[in-house]
Amino acid sequence: MFSAAIRERTVGRRGAAWVAALALPCALAACGGTGDAKRAVSASPDSAVSVVDDAGHTVTLPHPARRIVSLVPSATETLLALGARGALVGRNDFDKGMGIDSLPSVGGGMDPSLERLVALRPDVVVGWNAGSDPAARQRIEALGIRLFALKTEDTTDVFRAVRSLGALTGRRTSADSLSASMRRGLADVAASVAGKPRPRVFFVVWNDPPMTAGPRTYVAQLIGVAGGTNTFADAARQWPTVSLEEIVRRDPDVVVLPQGEKGAAASIAALRGAPGWRELRAMKDGHAVTVPADLVNRPGPHIAEAARALAAALHPDAASP
Amino acid sequence: MRPALRLALLALGLVAALLLGIRLGAVRLSVREIVDAARGLGDPTTVAIVRGLRLPRSLQAALVGGALAVSGAVFQALLRNPLAEPYILGVSGGAAVGAVGALVTGGVLASAGSVSGAAFAGAIFAILLVFRIAASVGKTLDTRILLLAGVVTGAFFNAVILLALTFADADSFRSAMFWMMGSFSGATWASDATLAAAMLPAVAILVALARPLNLLSVGEETAAYLGTSVERTKLIAYGVASLLTAAAVAAAGVIGFVGLVIPHVIRLLWGGDHRFLIPASLLLGATFLVLADALARTAAAPTELPVGVVTAFVGVPFFVFLLRRRAA
Repeated sequence: MFSAAIRERTVGRRGAAWVAALALPCALAACGGTGDAKRAVSASPDSAVSVVDDAGHTVTLPHPARRIVSLVPSATETLLALGARGALVGRNDFDKGMGIDSLPSVGGGMDPSLERLVALRPDVVVGWNAGSDPAARQRIEALGIRLFALKTEDTTDVFRAVRSLGALTGRRTSADSLSASMRRGLADVAASVAGKPRPRVFFVVWNDPPMTAGPRTYVAQLIGVAGGTNTFADAARQWPTVSLEEIVRRDPDVVVLPQGEKGAAASIAALRGAPGWRELRAMKDGHAVTVPADLVNRPGPHIAEAARALAAALHPDAASP
Repeated sequence: MRPALRLALLALGLVAALLLGIRLGAVRLSVREIVDAARGLGDPTTVAIVRGLRLPRSLQAALVGGALAVSGAVFQALLRNPLAEPYILGVSGGAAVGAVGALVTGGVLASAGSVSGAAFAGAIFAILLVFRIAASVGKTLDTRILLLAGVVTGAFFNAVILLALTFADADSFRSAMFWMMGSFSGATWASDATLAAAMLPAVAILVALARPLNLLSVGEETAAYLGTSVERTKLIAYGVASLLTAAAVAAAGVIGFVGLVIPHVIRLLWGGDHRFLIPASLLLGATFLVLADALARTAAAPTELPVGVVTAFVGVPFFVFLLRRRAA
């Protein structure tokens, strides 16, 4: 039960999304967001900012945020990519490998130490869109801390997060150029696999019980960009738990395993010997591939790199863009 | 008056634990800063930490610990079973069904208040259901039937929770897991006041029932011979102890161990007279949870450990030590 909770935490972090995975042009168009991102107006350091978060709350600050604590690793990455390193005053335990280990941590992103949070006196805390746990939001706001809630389920959300974090920190210009380069990166990946056969992919979020990326998730969209189709694009849920029997019945062409130091599913070697899994054609034929877990688990500024890693795994013969 | 002296000693221990609980935390504060902050002076951040977080949280730990230990003592007497604990009549299962239901279905509608409210409602529903089942089996409150009804109802509620979680999305699942582990991190002055208001009459009634409970723990027939109105006492004591548990669970989720062990610690140390056992359990249970929560907040700061983990890790070795000393 407990390990399940931890895993859900990982899964929850990556959120979920929309856009059919194989509708490539559509996915890219959706990535563009609502289209008002082209006007590059840089906020002056003292002008007030007012941004609507993903929970529909308007967060107004007298000046662009100067003291930020991020509870969401992908948001931390986005802030760093926007050049807002100087505004970060705290991080969470999952902000690993970002070069900000010297910042004080407030603990887990879902259950931060409120004391630490208060003590850091942030202008704004970037947190999860606590749709199912508004108690967490109330708890933080009751302490007089402004919470900017983010939802990062599909790539549209990712681009919206870039835009709103740019607005919040007075870095709209950086946000626009970051979005543009991310979009370019995705388009390059899509172009590199254009015209190639599209293997049916089973993405292993977790192996026991088997959990995968359903439709409306950025993972499914990135698989689409990388020239694959999602075996469970018809799932009713965003991160469905599926039966091993059903995986065997659908017999995907490729099994993709995120691998990293922590929180990764079992290794290919382990799955190759596991009941059920060993029946899969992909396992027998050596079509089980790994992608870096840190890359594909974070719906942030590196989604183009994640798509590139997926494309390289799905189409090893294709020229790297 | 030796028992009075012991109670005074336990009360002193509780005060010391509360002071320590307010002193310790993820952020280091000096005694001076804390005293100032408690009076509303000094750095507003420190004031927010002390007044907004540590004080209500330590207080909630004390109230919940006291409530669970008292209801544990009463259930052990009523069921004449050393394994009885506050959740034995399915209260925790009912509360969890309520809370998980609110978290899974509520979405945006769920708030801290509505989750506790739903947990309390679920607990009350469980209590009524168990009593209804027991009453339908026999005219009088047969403790064995009550116990069985509580256990099977609890098992059923557990199944309902697992079913709901199987179909819950990742966010609700996580929130529900956190709730079921129990935590004081949601404590506010308002929730403390509500819990205290519920506890005061409940504890008063149970202390008033101390003498009949003494007789009942010997045996129902003996109690009846000695002039106790057995059925009425049982009904009131079960009802009040269950409500007390329900209030505690609604405030802080399911926290095990305290309600089972604290009354036994008092019995091992000073005997089982309920006139002493109930208030002593209240004070020791409160002290124990305040200390456990302080440890939970600081041991791996800023990560908070589930308080139930701390109570068992620290409490079990101590309890075994007490048992062995008693046997020797």
